[in-house]
Amino acid sequence: MILLAANWSHIIMVTLLGFALVLVLLVALIYILKFFGFLMRPRIKVEKTAEVGEEVGSARKQSSEHITLTGNATAAIAMSLHLYYNSIHDEEPTKVTIKKVERRYSPWNSKLYGMNNLHR
Amino acid sequence: MKHFRYLFLAITLLFAFAGQAQEVAVTDELETSQVAAEVQQDIAEEADAVATVATQTADSNVWEDIAHFFETMGIVRVFDGNADSGDWRQLIMLLISFFLLYLAIKKQYEPLLLLPIAFGMLLTNLPGAGMFHSELWSAFLDPESPAYHSYGAILKEGGLLDVLYIGVKAGVYPCLIFIGVGAMTDFGPLIANPKSLLLGAAAQVGIFITFLCANALGFTEAQAGSIAIIGGADGPTSIFLTSRLAPELLGPIAIAAYSYMALVPVIQPPIMRLLTTKQERAIKMKQLRSVSKTEKIVFPIMVTTVVALILPDAAPLIGCLMLGNLMKECGVVDRLSKTAQNELMNIVVIFLGLSVGATATGSSFLNIQTILILIMGIIAFGLGSAGGVLLAKLMNVFSKEKINPLIGSAGVSAVPMAARVSQQVGQEENPGNFLLMHAMGPNVAGVIGSAVAAGLLLSFLG
Repeated sequence: MILLAANWSHIIMVTLLGFALVLVLLVALIYILKFFGFLMRPRIKVEKTAEVGEEVGSARKQSSEHITLTGNATAAIAMSLHLYYNSIHDEEPTKVTIKKVERRYSPWNSKLYGMNNLHR
Repeated sequence: MKHFRYLFLAITLLFAFAGQAQEVAVTDELETSQVAAEVQQDIAEEADAVATVATQTADSNVWEDIAHFFETMGIVRVFDGNADSGDWRQLIMLLISFFLLYLAIKKQYEPLLLLPIAFGMLLTNLPGAGMFHSELWSAFLDPESPAYHSYGAILKEGGLLDVLYIGVKAGVYPCLIFIGVGAMTDFGPLIANPKSLLLGAAAQVGIFITFLCANALGFTEAQAGSIAIIGGADGPTSIFLTSRLAPELLGPIAIAAYSYMALVPVIQPPIMRLLTTKQERAIKMKQLRSVSKTEKIVFPIMVTTVVALILPDAAPLIGCLMLGNLMKECGVVDRLSKTAQNELMNIVVIFLGLSVGATATGSSFLNIQTILILIMGIIAFGLGSAGGVLLAKLMNVFSKEKINPLIGSAGVSAVPMAARVSQQVGQEENPGNFLLMHAMGPNVAGVIGSAVAAGLLLSFLG
């Protein structure tokens, strides 16, 4: 009786249409995500080392044959690329200097300071 | 001399008046004192009479007070035979609340929500305490009642738990919780592998099959939709939909949803092992690509817009989820993001847990419907897990890059518990296999999928 009382056409419509719509909406999101992923993929511009077509092709071929990278080098390159693309690489001053080692005098540790000096 | 004569006359007259006035006053005083004496005598007689009666009345009032005190004791109300004041079912509910408190504290099963829910259940089932007035909410839903849809009546007549329950009724708490969930979720694995969305969609199959089953068992369509959403394994979504479609089932559904979420590590592994082979469980997946910050910022805006344009009923949940995520990813509103993740989330969890637990009264919880809801809930949950695993296997047939089917079961929301289960089961076969990040994709896709399913059910049945 309970089964007969229910509006089964509506129930089945809700079930099928509901699940189909969930699928369709999420599949649509997949394509939208892929499209945005394509638009926002990182682009690396490779500078041309040779001037014209065939020479470039053969040069690339040769270079790819000779390149052998160790695991450490690959990891370092991957890490630096990751830092670069996520904009979390720290800014360095690009100045190489030898800093003067400064020893600050303080009356609070003067005895210790003197003792260390004596031992040297 | 003439002046002295006038002065003397005036003084004489003054004394004469004063003397007469004094005589009158004395006469009045005498009369007054006589009357007063009579009155005093009357009062004394009446006082004696009253004192006698009062002594007798005081003796009887003490006994009445003691009797009244015993009548109002909670334990007496349970056994006095009056179902309105309390009955044996409340004692059983108290025992259930103790058990849930034990699970939350000792076993740490979803303690953040199970503890307030269990305590809300304890408060509402204390006989005579009157913490939650279900009759007010019945009037709130009755179109013939003057308090129909009147929050003013609730504020005027209700107690603390009634006031807190307004947030559930108005669908405010689930949305606020979704802001916090969004602020704590990393959609990176989903953006890196958009196919995960398919697994999140497949895991919603449990919802729709359970909808059919619940209808077959005699529940109304609205009730069946509310029961089915348990299969989404998403507490806030279940509460949001149930408060709209079948508020009378809110207590059992919320408790079933959160209990099954807590039992993910118990329910899912047998289903996952049953549907996969050893070789499939040992599949190692390719490393996910890195996702740029821009993609992470665009994703919540894009998903909100697309989903709301197609399915406006899902907009409150998806919108709040994505708002929280945008606050996290954009990096310019750290204070808001931290508030959503911590203070806001914690406050709303307390309010939601207490008020949902308060709806689990003995009369509404201890019936055959609750048992059916618990059975339907676990069926929905199991079917959802199975749906995700089976679709992952199907995708392996057509795809070049193999995916581990274990990540399919994470499509049933329950973030991040379901993803952790995929990782654990995968490592049983291959300890060097790390599936957690791969499983997070379907896991967060499941949150979106269950919110979309809830929106659809709301638009069809609401």
